[in-house]
Amino acid sequence: MRVINFIIENILTQASVTIALIAMLGLILQKKSAGQVISGSLKTMLGFMVLVAGSSIIVGSLTYFGKIFAEGFHMQGIVPSIEAINGQAMNELGLGRDIALTFLAIFVFNIIIARFTKWKYIFLTGQAILWMATMTTVFGYFAGLRGITLILVGGFIGAVFAVAMPAIAQPFVRKITGSDDIALGHFCTVGYVFEAGVAKVFGEKGDKKKSVEDLKLPAQLEFLQDTYLSVMVIMVPLYIITAAFAGADFASTLSGDTHYLMFAFLQAIQFVVGVYVLLAGVRLLLGEIVPAFRGIAMRLVPNAKPALDCPVLFPFSPNAVIVGFITTTIGCVIAMFVLPVFGLAMILPGMLTAFFAGGTAGIFGNLVGGRRGAVIGGIAHGFFITLLPALLVTTFNSMGFVNTTATDVDTVTAALLYAWLIGPLLKAF
Amino acid sequence: MFGFGKKKTKKPKQEFIEPEVAVITEENKDEVLRTISMREKELNQADREGKAKIYEDIGMTYLKIKEDDQAIDALEKSIQYKKTLGDGYKTLLRLYNKKRAEAAKMNDDKSLQIYMEKMDQMMQISKDVTRGVR
Repeated sequence: MRVINFIIENILTQASVTIALIAMLGLILQKKSAGQVISGSLKTMLGFMVLVAGSSIIVGSLTYFGKIFAEGFHMQGIVPSIEAINGQAMNELGLGRDIALTFLAIFVFNIIIARFTKWKYIFLTGQAILWMATMTTVFGYFAGLRGITLILVGGFIGAVFAVAMPAIAQPFVRKITGSDDIALGHFCTVGYVFEAGVAKVFGEKGDKKKSVEDLKLPAQLEFLQDTYLSVMVIMVPLYIITAAFAGADFASTLSGDTHYLMFAFLQAIQFVVGVYVLLAGVRLLLGEIVPAFRGIAMRLVPNAKPALDCPVLFPFSPNAVIVGFITTTIGCVIAMFVLPVFGLAMILPGMLTAFFAGGTAGIFGNLVGGRRGAVIGGIAHGFFITLLPALLVTTFNSMGFVNTTATDVDTVTAALLYAWLIGPLLKAF
Repeated sequence: MFGFGKKKTKKPKQEFIEPEVAVITEENKDEVLRTISMREKELNQADREGKAKIYEDIGMTYLKIKEDDQAIDALEKSIQYKKTLGDGYKTLLRLYNKKRAEAAKMNDDKSLQIYMEKMDQMMQISKDVTRGVR
């Protein structure tokens, strides 16, 4: 009995062990060899530890940034990063085990919904499911849910999103791809549909509708070639300018013997290093789990439509991707200055979200409202995807998250569902 | 009044019709194969970009005579020579998905994983080409 208690209290409570056991389950169900099961489980555990290390680096950098931003601009400056939210929730908040089990629950509920309803979508973007599991777990926990209830409610809500979002996007995806056999699995769909709605109202109509695909635009976005370089391009000036505004007197108290501007530069690089390490951890973590479970899902629902990551749409409307990226960035910058006027925190623009979510949203805007729809819709989309995460800042702050908020708007919507509906309902009864 | 109680006539739901691939009959299948072998001869003189284009054409021609495996082989070669997001890319993604669905129906996990991985690679190619990575 003492041995069992020891295992339950000291081993199974460790998030890294839980995650490794989930991977082990997937590998065993796939009838892998003993060697593959052991190496896959250990790699998954290693992935979790790397993720945690990345999170610590990000938190260190963001703590510094929060201090200089508050001193320099007398308000809170928030860096939108779902990776940072995930890392902090897994590590600093100690919700790693619950997030891992919710992640598994989303997979299981997704299979059940696809198997027994007419919505045959299997969500295959593993990273996005991890972000969704993070948000449902964090906000479920904040709403007062614990243990198995937290996991099952989070798993069910996450799975409903995993099926509903591709289903909502599918009428658009059919028109974009000219085919009904592939779906879109990216948790920014609320934003895409929002852009389509704006494009419908303000865009070109009927014969006047002209596609951006008829325009000649630069074909490549060289500065975005490397994920980490594109993060660096934003973070370095942001940190240095903020440090300059904070002033030498204040910033030097944080920088020790190093010049305060040089220290700001190094801290910006530290942030990028943190994202690099964290994402390397995520890749290791999901490398074994995702193939195992999506294989199982596809075999259990053989007539399923695979919901793939957003680049699935890029080839069908490449110009709209560029227009969407530029207009979404403009919308994000407008929102950055406008939201503080209404008492909300200043959300700094995130280049990667603007590219992937903005680019895909551009395709929707162009489809529905042509050139004008893509431009007006894109700017509105940028504003929208900055506004929604801004609404979560107070809650994130009260939970102990450091100067960051979520990005992918479907995960933010799920969080708002908890904050505005499930939480109050639980408190009422 | 206000149309209450009136039976709403439900619009029939429009079914989505998959785009038809032009079907080539057995008689001119030989002719198509001859065209393919002529195109293959052009490969020797072509540069990388030219080879990518020729393989793309060959792949699309194989698709017309429903030789999916040959089409996949040619389209994969085309993308190896040059990453593009044209018709060849879109067709290859569709063929991978078709193969994946067949593997799922046959409960063939090995093939299923192979085609899922290939679809993952297609997503990476789409990202790379859009961002200008060569």
